[in-house]
Amino acid sequence: MARSRARRASASRTEDRLRRLLAIVPYVVRNPGARIDEVSRLFGVPETALTQDLNLLFLTGLPPYTPADLIEVEIEGGRVWIRMAEHFARPVRLTRPEARALYLRGSELLGAPGLPEAEALRSALDKLAGSLGPDSLGELQVEVGEAPAGEVGHLETVREAAARRERLEIDYYSGSRDEVTTRRIDPEHVFSAIGNWYVVAWDHRSDAERLFRVDRIRAARPSGERFEPRGLLGQGRELYTPTGEDIRVRLRVGPGARWIAEYYAVEEATEGRDGVLELTLPTRDLAWMAKLILRLGGQAEILEPPELRDLVRRAAEETLSRYR
Amino acid sequence: MYPLERLLNLVALLLEARTPLTFDQIRATLRGAYTQEDRASAKRQFERDKDTLRAIGIPVEVAFTDGFEVDEGYVIRKDRYYLPDLSFTPEEAAALFVAANAPGGEGDAAQAFRKLALGIDAGVGALLDAPAPAGVDASGPHLEAVAEAVAGRRRIRFRYQPAEGEAGEREVDAWALVFRRGSWYLAGLDHLRGEPRSFRLSRMESGVRDQGPGSEPPQGWDAGALLAAGPWGLGEPDRTARVAFSPKVAWWATAGIPEARTIRIREDGWTEAEVPAASSDSFVSWVLSFGPDAEVLSPEDLREAVIRGLEVVRGSV
Repeated sequence: MARSRARRASASRTEDRLRRLLAIVPYVVRNPGARIDEVSRLFGVPETALTQDLNLLFLTGLPPYTPADLIEVEIEGGRVWIRMAEHFARPVRLTRPEARALYLRGSELLGAPGLPEAEALRSALDKLAGSLGPDSLGELQVEVGEAPAGEVGHLETVREAAARRERLEIDYYSGSRDEVTTRRIDPEHVFSAIGNWYVVAWDHRSDAERLFRVDRIRAARPSGERFEPRGLLGQGRELYTPTGEDIRVRLRVGPGARWIAEYYAVEEATEGRDGVLELTLPTRDLAWMAKLILRLGGQAEILEPPELRDLVRRAAEETLSRYR
Repeated sequence: MYPLERLLNLVALLLEARTPLTFDQIRATLRGAYTQEDRASAKRQFERDKDTLRAIGIPVEVAFTDGFEVDEGYVIRKDRYYLPDLSFTPEEAAALFVAANAPGGEGDAAQAFRKLALGIDAGVGALLDAPAPAGVDASGPHLEAVAEAVAGRRRIRFRYQPAEGEAGEREVDAWALVFRRGSWYLAGLDHLRGEPRSFRLSRMESGVRDQGPGSEPPQGWDAGALLAAGPWGLGEPDRTARVAFSPKVAWWATAGIPEARTIRIREDGWTEAEVPAASSDSFVSWVLSFGPDAEVLSPEDLREAVIRGLEVVRGSV
């Protein structure tokens, strides 16, 4: 049992190395003297492992396997040449999962607002779909809703700062506090989720990790200072990280307001009758929660805390006063 | 001999073979491979190797070795092995790189990009130093299986929690995937209702179970039109409303809405904008999310709907 598991694990390592090599060889054949560090980064393989694989490569070739039939690999001055590998001069076709994964990832990115690469990406995906044909993508029909055009404020500044690991000073509108503050941040990751762009950063104002919405950054000024990344979590993280100081809001929501359960970080949800849901939402600030309840238009009943009711009533009255 | 070495030699041999090779021919030709004395165990090792190659997408085919159709052999057809030539402009390559290397994109998408990398006109050096990859967090656990179903026009079953009402089993002919406002949707024929419907992947509560072949969508069918945006968006816009925003929110309030237009900035500092509006509750909900920082000026019925909404909330707390 243990032995067969070990064999499977080693077989899957061999599979990965083979898959990788069959992509690396064509690349180097077409780019003679490619830099090893570049190849290593492009193919996501450490230089030592890459050298190891390349060293094995020149043991292989075609029958009758005389020295003249074997692949030639030359490594010198941080560069690599591969010759006598005409049979591996072109990569293997994309597998269906590969073609589909790249196509779907690209489509998601196309749907994100304000991406400067959108046009190039669209034409690249068209080329991809056109040349791979039904063999790879099957009848896969994908439609991407129109992404809001125009720029997302300071998206480019933030992406570049994250790439250069440069500290930024930003003016930020916090929806939960309903105020604009100036703070210095170390931006580590930029990603799009639920239709918004976010930046994960170390915030020097609160001396803590924070998630900022890029479209709420009113101004962004590069500081010229570099920072060391702290290894914050990027894409895939929860959009809200509860803290010990959070206020726990308990609501009973009707069917028309159930969507908040998938849009916000809900701690607990209990299904009631007729599509009614009881849920607990942790929040740092009640002002924001009051606005959420306003927009639910009577579909949410506040169970806790009682002071939220006063806040909602005041917000409703203040807003109503605009209409009188 | 290393397994990797044997596999590389096997791929090269079968790619260059002029006619399909029988196992015994392969065994006799391939240097240092399948040397077990017992032919059966050598064959077993070969079978495992063949499976490995197929698992990574190498089309090892079985065919008769000659026109007499007596012996079967193995071959890799070049036209089915090699990636067709594809070239990308540096901008296209950079965009694909961002898509493939989005954090969490390790794996199939990244591998696909690597195979395409040699079609990049300007090399990859500049690409690797380009601005930060930016990811999209949308895939979720069901995307791959649903894409597979759409690609093969399959009928599938899953448990679904609709936005309103009770969760239940659905059986759907998978027709299209739609990405909209940050979420993936499946569009297809819903057998429960007997008509086309859309399903948000994040509301699927179970895995996807294949139910056999599905059906073809009708000619000219439009997946995008089927989808109405959820209550967090603006809904399907069918007319225009004029909304005033306070200085505090005006600079971002309409940033995500392509059709929004700023009309004027008033003396009191508020900005008046024209915004596409649905007659549905979603527009009212969106305006209310700004609280006292937004006011609907026209049309009158939407203005009244906002007032009604506020009065309902005030009465409920």
